[in-house]
Amino acid sequence: MSTALADAPAFEKAEQLPADLRAPLRDLVLALADSKRVLGLRYSDRMLGAPTLEAGIAASSMAQDEWGHGRLTYALLSDLGDDPKVLEHERPGAEYRSNPALDAGFGSWSDMIACNLLIDGALSAQYGALAESRYAPVRTRVQKLLDEERFHFQYAAGWARRIAGVEQLRGELFASFERYLVEAVRWLGRDEDAGVRRLVEEGVVREGPSAVRARFLGRVGPVLEEIGMAEALGVSRGADGWSYARELDWDGWDESTRRRGGGLDEETAARARGDRNRAMLLD
Amino acid sequence: MKEPVYEVFARKTREEPLRHIGYVNAMSGDLARVYAWTTYDEQNWIEMCVVPRSAILPVDPEESQFVHDTSVRDSEDELVHMTGTGSYGGGDVAVKEAP
Repeated sequence: MSTALADAPAFEKAEQLPADLRAPLRDLVLALADSKRVLGLRYSDRMLGAPTLEAGIAASSMAQDEWGHGRLTYALLSDLGDDPKVLEHERPGAEYRSNPALDAGFGSWSDMIACNLLIDGALSAQYGALAESRYAPVRTRVQKLLDEERFHFQYAAGWARRIAGVEQLRGELFASFERYLVEAVRWLGRDEDAGVRRLVEEGVVREGPSAVRARFLGRVGPVLEEIGMAEALGVSRGADGWSYARELDWDGWDESTRRRGGGLDEETAARARGDRNRAMLLD
Repeated sequence: MKEPVYEVFARKTREEPLRHIGYVNAMSGDLARVYAWTTYDEQNWIEMCVVPRSAILPVDPEESQFVHDTSVRDSEDELVHMTGTGSYGGGDVAVKEAP
């Protein structure tokens, strides 16, 4: 953020935002909230399916963290004209804007760890770009979330090292990283997105997609390098920092949903909405 | 590959001394820190530390709880060969059968 922007007054409420910022900010916050909600569901599937008891307890804790982060993020949308209750409990799967990597459940423990490192990591990088936001409701809520995410990263990095140390599992782990990495990197978007550019210009988001992507790769790259998979995954360290060498397919990309089509299946959406306990839903 | 034991110490205020609250099995210090934080989260700790049990040197080994390390698990064997029938569910890393 420029010095001029750092000294600029904060936006205490959405109504103070320039009108053209509200839609892209809503798009970003909803994509974050939906991704957190579905990521929590996917983690929860591993609470009883982890290789060790401690790993299962930690997966349970992370699932709860993600749902907490999701709820906190949905709540931000009330200031932007949404009813968070409707967003959380009444949308069909097709309206979810979660990262498409989360559309399917984990097929293996390697999937869980790859998603933990890369999808959760990409979400954290994007939240990190909001930590000094001029939009006060976001800024005041993000830091605690990022503090909790430090443990998620440690967990992912620790397990990545551990699985990579078992020769029989390295191929499976690499395939998982390959699948999740492309979705993590693409989900962070394109610099030419006019809405995101405006969010950066006004100091609501600290930096644009390429810079957030570089920050994300700077976080996960050393882990991938340490286990000897970075280069083969297209992740490398250069004079200007970390980069992803593979070409991304943007065909069908929708800046507002951060997806290229498809959607969350209804069974998963029903879990995300909490249909089973709907009768006990309180105001 | 053995999974080491890490003893967990914590305190709720700066004034009180760290006290031993339990242990976790973990392959690395990083994982031990996460496991300690998520396993012993029922209290609002202000500080939590993990110490490899192997780093603790009892002054009187005859009387110490930290000497006999019977809870070390063979983690690689678990990771690759677990059959998914464990008491808490098992996992699909488990589907890897021994060659």
